[in-house]
Amino acid sequence: MILNRESVDRSSEKKGIAKARTAIEITGLNKWFGELHVLKDVSLSVSEKEIIVICGPSGSGKSTFIRCINHLENYQEGTVSIFGEKLESNKKSAVLIRNNVGMLFQNFNLFPHLTILQNCTLGPIWLRKIPESESIKQSMALLDRVGIAALASKYPGQISGGQQQRVAIARSLAMEPRIMLFDEPTSALDPEMIKEVLDVMIDLAESGMTMMCVTHEMQFAHQVADRVIFMADGEIVEIGPPDQVLKNPKWDRTSQFLQHVLSHKS
Amino acid sequence: MDSQATPKTELLNFIPSPSRPPVVITHGFTGWLKKHLFGGFWNTLLTIAVFTLLYLLLKPFLEWSLVKAVWTASSRRECLSISPDGACWAAVIRWSNNLIYGRYPDPLQWRINLGIGIGIIWLLPLALKKIKHKIVIGLMAVVFYPFLASYLFLGGDRGRLHYVIASVALAYLFMLYMNIILIYLGKKQTGQYFESLIERFVPRRADLLGHLTFLLILSVLIAFIFRDFSLQDVSTDVWGGLFLTIIISGFSIVMALPIGILLALGRRSQMPVVRWFSIATIELVRSVPMITVLFMSVTMMPLFFPNTMDLNKLAQVIIAVCIFAGAYMAETVRGGLQAIPKGQFDAAKSIGLGYWYTMAFIILPQALRAMIPNIVTSFISLFKDTTLVSIIGLFDLMLMARNISIDKNWFGLHTEPLVAISVLFFIFCYTMSQYSQRLERHLTKGR
Repeated sequence: MILNRESVDRSSEKKGIAKARTAIEITGLNKWFGELHVLKDVSLSVSEKEIIVICGPSGSGKSTFIRCINHLENYQEGTVSIFGEKLESNKKSAVLIRNNVGMLFQNFNLFPHLTILQNCTLGPIWLRKIPESESIKQSMALLDRVGIAALASKYPGQISGGQQQRVAIARSLAMEPRIMLFDEPTSALDPEMIKEVLDVMIDLAESGMTMMCVTHEMQFAHQVADRVIFMADGEIVEIGPPDQVLKNPKWDRTSQFLQHVLSHKS
Repeated sequence: MDSQATPKTELLNFIPSPSRPPVVITHGFTGWLKKHLFGGFWNTLLTIAVFTLLYLLLKPFLEWSLVKAVWTASSRRECLSISPDGACWAAVIRWSNNLIYGRYPDPLQWRINLGIGIGIIWLLPLALKKIKHKIVIGLMAVVFYPFLASYLFLGGDRGRLHYVIASVALAYLFMLYMNIILIYLGKKQTGQYFESLIERFVPRRADLLGHLTFLLILSVLIAFIFRDFSLQDVSTDVWGGLFLTIIISGFSIVMALPIGILLALGRRSQMPVVRWFSIATIELVRSVPMITVLFMSVTMMPLFFPNTMDLNKLAQVIIAVCIFAGAYMAETVRGGLQAIPKGQFDAAKSIGLGYWYTMAFIILPQALRAMIPNIVTSFISLFKDTTLVSIIGLFDLMLMARNISIDKNWFGLHTEPLVAISVLFFIFCYTMSQYSQRLERHLTKGR
């Protein structure tokens, strides 16, 4: 599988930057929680290496939307494709998602009974069948990259929230994904720790990861996003480059929301 | 972030104050006594009152059980003539062999000792620090040890398959100890000597195959050595006493957890048939008294099997107790499963773990850990509940103790045997409870 991936990468390089491949293709996504229509006909196409920031008021369906992409949520209508392959609820899709999509959560969701290092090596050893010693080496390199290699033998309960979220990033990266989904990764963090997580995310963005990120960090959106999506009531209200959506929104709904977020921040 | 005000004046440099060691309040044993027992008038009075009461309550018991007790006598009459108010421990001592081994023939009791001893030896490495893959050792013990032990306990001709599995079990035990010695000597383990040879044919998992090869060779060797070795047949009818109690409760304690886990997972399953089956089993078994389950197993189970099949009463009882304990365990495990936050499932799924991997590595370790006190409580009550098998005529510790009072030499002697087995039960149960607390401390270390 690893060999395959390298060959794909090389072929995409040959094609050049002119026409980037589509990483995620979502068409006509509809989802109901009981009677509640939470996603209304959402469509979106994300190219490879693109960085998308999704913002919107709570209850706008942005978390549900992002969770549909790696099938953490089921949806009743519509399709999600990853690198051209349509996802279904079967083993083949599960493997496709596992090999391509990583995800970060608001509450980190580290495994509290495993050490930091074991959190990272679990997936590679059992799913990618990498020998233990090699997986430890790889995970240590990743932990070093997010700046917490020194804490490898600690348990999640012993480290701070910011450090936990960085471990969660390393844990996802250990599966070598090409797409990373972020579900409000900094919302549960103290102000002092938000920056350390954002720095790692910016570093990831610069390394060419395809990213979809639900966040209210407008600074971050300005700095790295290629496109910003504003969602409200289960629909994509506005989509475009950060300067356009954040500075000159077309809709009053967007502008109201931005005022709320920005006034809260300052 | 850019909204922070830029400082105009020069800021002071903040240096945290140095930490001090925590304040010690208690001052040795006398300090503790003064603080907790004799602090103030009323406190002192209460302490004296409680200790006086304790003395008054315990004194008659201690006098009966120790001071005036009779330790050697040949009959109850003799006991009474020596000390009419004392305990007659002589009866328990005379019967001690039966209390432990039941009616198992005296000259063959070494087989029980050996079997139980092997079990303890097998599990000892679990306490060693340097040993890896303890789960494998535990699983091998659960799967293979019963065959080896029953080969010893039952004796007779148990068929070729049983003999082969018992040989593998013994071979594994030998291999385990060879490996332990080699690990502590800092040498390669037995199986690793075959690795280079195997790698020539099969490149993958050579370490595992190496160990299996060595196990195979050792098994064949052991099977060959013991080929003429035969043991006298001992029917399960004469099994009894503490031995039988340990067999029944040990078996059901070991089986209760896997049965309970499967039923608990089944109950939460999305597959309707599996879920209904689990719910039906759990609810049915839980709503019936254990004694009913035991009676049903002995009287009704034969109806489900062909006439020609010779069912063993002990086996029927063990199966019944296992299912009974499993149903209760299922609810305990389910409680633990419900305590796991949904985020754990999300995280496991997001790194691509499937259902069984998620359960095995993420959910169950946490759920079982949280439930250790409840699980061990079930184990303890299960151990004590096995005394109920005496009602359907299995000579467990309880029935053996009650039999003393029918012995013509000790006729009517009820109290002493019951006190004696109470002490035995206490020792076992308290050990289990202490072990569980140690396990809990060990598992929650560093969190």
